[in-house]
Amino acid sequence: MQNILETHQLTKTINKKDLVKNVDIHVRKGEIYGFLGPNGAGKTTVMKMVTNLWKPTSGTVELFGETLTPTSYAVLKRMGSIIEFPQFYDHMSGQENLQLHCEYMGYCMPGCVEESLALLGLSDAAGKKVKEYSLGMRQRLGIARAVLCRPELLVLDEPTNGLDPAGMKQLRDLFRRLCVEYGMTIVISSHILTEVESIADTIGIIHHGIMREEISMKEISERNTEYIELAAADLTRAAYVLNEQLHLRNFKVFDGEHIRIYDGGVTTGDLTRALTQQGVEILAIGRKSERLEDYFLNLTREE
Amino acid sequence: MLKLIRLEWKKNRIGKYICKAVIMTAIITLMIAAMAGELESVETMTAYGTSMMTASVNLFVNMAYIIMTGVMLSIFIVGAYEKKTIHLMFSYPISRKKILASKMLAVWIFNVAAMIASKTFVCAVLLLVRPLLGIDAAGIAFGAPDFWLDMVLGSAAMVSISYIALPVGLLMKSSKATIVAAVVITFMTQGNIGSATLVNNVPFYGMLLVIAAWAAFLSVHRVEVRDLP
Repeated sequence: MQNILETHQLTKTINKKDLVKNVDIHVRKGEIYGFLGPNGAGKTTVMKMVTNLWKPTSGTVELFGETLTPTSYAVLKRMGSIIEFPQFYDHMSGQENLQLHCEYMGYCMPGCVEESLALLGLSDAAGKKVKEYSLGMRQRLGIARAVLCRPELLVLDEPTNGLDPAGMKQLRDLFRRLCVEYGMTIVISSHILTEVESIADTIGIIHHGIMREEISMKEISERNTEYIELAAADLTRAAYVLNEQLHLRNFKVFDGEHIRIYDGGVTTGDLTRALTQQGVEILAIGRKSERLEDYFLNLTREE
Repeated sequence: MLKLIRLEWKKNRIGKYICKAVIMTAIITLMIAAMAGELESVETMTAYGTSMMTASVNLFVNMAYIIMTGVMLSIFIVGAYEKKTIHLMFSYPISRKKILASKMLAVWIFNVAAMIASKTFVCAVLLLVRPLLGIDAAGIAFGAPDFWLDMVLGSAAMVSISYIALPVGLLMKSSKATIVAAVVITFMTQGNIGSATLVNNVPFYGMLLVIAAWAAFLSVHRVEVRDLP
């Protein structure tokens, strides 16, 4: 599938300090990408560079197949975004703010403002001045504005800030709907794993400005199951034995040092016997179970 | 560009500034009419122009609009950076230079037009009440092209000079600093110490206009590659 957003070795340095370093992101068209990391990990920095608010110190951002430059304005028409907290003209109503947004974006679809407000449950507050909105309402209005012009790519930095659990659930359903019905690609950053794990197709984990992992939810669901981890002196030969002798298919070489076997019907005893018979030296073997949350915490744990 | 200027006026509620300009003009008119007799006897006023009435109109209206321009620049541009609405503006598919230029032009056009309207109104009222107050309004010559040329060029120059306050506010990231800078410009260009004043000092005004042009340039220079705070 075609990537709609890619970053290559993206680095941002301010006052000789690397806020993010060599970040590579790959967001496929039509998917929901969860960008996870603890507070201060560099999520917003990356989001700002992707939306062209900040310029990279080095590396590139590729949007819709084109490299982003300081004067790449056309791509902004195809994007909707919220970076940090959404800002509004507080003296204007929610509806007026959205109408103004349409005028600047050069988008004129009759009824789109009302539709967007209804989508976020803000129809009743449409005529109210934004300065009278609660934090949650402002956040929802920000999302209504981001989706207003039906962008191909939606970049949302911590979009559920200030929302109650019901509001969060409503947003998760909305994001899935926007993805399925409108074909939008959505990048959501968050420091809360549970917020994105139920909707994301792919997850990128950043910590201390360094991209730790980019993984599909399919792979994560595999990791959620129990597996046997095997360390052998000769991994190639070990993989051959698993495939040819034990007829295992659901295993993979992990970080070049281990093999993880997800097939449920095999025991550590079977593996040890088969590998030993074929002269493969086993360095370590054991059954493991790792929940996604543990996995995330392991990746972002302070050394 | 015209659409962007119109949108700037719309979102910043230009009607509010029109009301302020009307009130300001009314106060200046009343003030000059009330002080008409006094002004003619003030010796230093001769430094402000050949005609006492046009000189006093220019003085008060210029002062009011230099500060008004500073206030509007602080709200339209510096305030947008402070409140981070500029983040939103820079997320639109429009050149950043064009966005800032439209903001600057929105303030400039409004203030030049309002200044000309204010001066015209004050002069017209003074002309009307001249017989009642016994004012010498010889300098107010609506029929003379030079009168209008002076008014238009003078207004454009004064509003332009106010733009020196813009980079001050942007550098200090403060709306208040923009307004304070505008007040300082007002004193520099309109003030006097005894009979010494820089009003109508063409080289001085020329220098300020060059600085103002440089200030406007600085405000948009490299805006495309600058990171937003």
